Amino acid sequence: MKEVFCLVERCLGCRSCEIACAVEHSRAKELTAAVKEEPRPAYRVRVSCVDERGRKIRLRSVAIQCRQCDEPACAEACIVGGIVKDETDGVVRFDQARCVGCWSCVMVCPYGAIVRVSGQGIAVKCDRCAGRETPACVEACPVRALVFIEPEEFAALGHEAENCHYRE
Amino acid sequence: MVMKQRIVIIGNSAAGIGALEAIRKHDRLSSVTLVSAEDELVYSRCLLSHFLAGTLGEEGLLFRPADFYRRMEAEILPRRKVESVDPAGQQVVCDDGAKLDFDKLLIATGSSPKLPPHIPRKTAGVFVLRTVADAMAIRSGLERARNAVVLGGGLVGMKAAFALHKRGLRVTVVVRSSYVLSQMIDAGAAGLVMDSLREEGIEVLTGVDVTGVELQEGKVAAVKITGGGSSASARPCELLIVAKGVDANKELVRGTAIQHETGIITDAHMQTTLENIYAAGDVAETFDVALETRSINALWTCAMQQGKIAGLNMAGQARQYDGSVGLNSLNFPSVDLISFGVVQPAQEAGYEVLVQRRPAEGVYKKLVLKGDRIKGLVLVNRIDNAGVLLSLLGRKVNVAGFKDDLLNDRFSYATVLGKGGREEWRRYAQTSKTARVT
Repeated sequence: MKEVFCLVERCLGCRSCEIACAVEHSRAKELTAAVKEEPRPAYRVRVSCVDERGRKIRLRSVAIQCRQCDEPACAEACIVGGIVKDETDGVVRFDQARCVGCWSCVMVCPYGAIVRVSGQGIAVKCDRCAGRETPACVEACPVRALVFIEPEEFAALGHEAENCHYRE
Repeated sequence: MVMKQRIVIIGNSAAGIGALEAIRKHDRLSSVTLVSAEDELVYSRCLLSHFLAGTLGEEGLLFRPADFYRRMEAEILPRRKVESVDPAGQQVVCDDGAKLDFDKLLIATGSSPKLPPHIPRKTAGVFVLRTVADAMAIRSGLERARNAVVLGGGLVGMKAAFALHKRGLRVTVVVRSSYVLSQMIDAGAAGLVMDSLREEGIEVLTGVDVTGVELQEGKVAAVKITGGGSSASARPCELLIVAKGVDANKELVRGTAIQHETGIITDAHMQTTLENIYAAGDVAETFDVALETRSINALWTCAMQQGKIAGLNMAGQARQYDGSVGLNSLNFPSVDLISFGVVQPAQEAGYEVLVQRRPAEGVYKKLVLKGDRIKGLVLVNRIDNAGVLLSLLGRKVNVAGFKDDLLNDRFSYATVLGKGGREEWRRYAQTSKTARVT
């Protein structure tokens, strides 16, 4: 099944994915209206910038979202039973309406991909844009650093990327 | 090939449910029977304080839909206890006389609240908070109460205190230690939690204990308190919640060859010392990867994980349990907190401790390392990415190269990717195929 991956050698850290994600999860689904919404639409992909000095990989920035784990730690931790792996499409579903903000999922997610929504006391995560063929973040990436492909396909690409970005 | 087996699960909370779901992922052929001392509904104990506070109704407690057992093709025998296990005869006997034969058995009997000897049991006004029945009993006692005392400074006690406060009661928390949550956090973090409690108007008494209760017409009217530098005093209390931790429900295995100490001893497959008999959840002792010794981690998340591992093995899917880690998260007014592993290491034991205090922001961070491996963590009010650190603990990653980054607010999985080299990159490329925490 296809996954969202980030090709780190391409990522510029422009955060277009974050904006596209927030807009996709707004009521209006349109930027100028979305920015005025209350509560402000939350984005579920996070761009992290890394100081590359002394690093093994020349990694400057990377966009991280839910990896849709096969046996999600968050699903085992969720105290309301609101996180379930959907075996039909591989997406780990998160029932926002039931979230009580206990942060158990934040405590166990190995990717730090669960986002707390400040002010609302709930968590959200990537739902891989329900109803969309290609997730909004992937579509919005101006340098095609975010890709939505099979893991095998990415592994092939990844090793290439790995080699060109190693200094050793 | 899957063989048809008779599987019996004692308990229908986190461990039992985790096991049932894991079994049914691989085996739809075997018969599965669950025996529950409670009703058949699958509810979440962790939500009982929300139910007590009134922010969730009874339906909000449901952890799985009402048709859960039907979908899982399992039989549930509610409101009965298993009285004895006969390992040789592969049979359990229930208190209603029912006998169940098994090929594989899971003991997921959980735990029960400890009750100090000087607190009278079954007295009007004295409660514990463990089951939905307990929570309902407290709710029905709310009307006649104005003053509540919570005995014990653990997570259940704290959550109960906030719930009763929300109900408009005057709440006092009585803790024998010098601070609350002493089993899961250190004094630095506990100070922030106690500030939060007191700001809300909840009284916190530390270094004191309840030594007895005073009754009026058979009902609790006051509690006797000693310690804290002052002489014994009585304090009005119509509602006392005892939250002094739990004991494993292991009576069942007494007199059998199943080995037990504090709990039932399990191996890396969650099997007890007898073949075909498994244990998981609050009743089970497992290897604690942070403490590096056997321990009971009586926590929802651990029970779900252990139940899953037990279920997989019972269904013939050999799966190793890497071990448990004590882990807790909470969300109180003005305090978000996550902690896990060793948080108060013995000084001589070769631990390294990194602490960051930012009182103006209410931020407190503490990381405990040993041999350049993460062993424990406390985060207050900057809790994002805690799971990344937990994953590093579980995988025993050497963090010597990026120790200084770990408590930085900008620490994220990207830090690990950047520092982890080829191995970490391969993990990311494989993503869901291998992603696990502990």
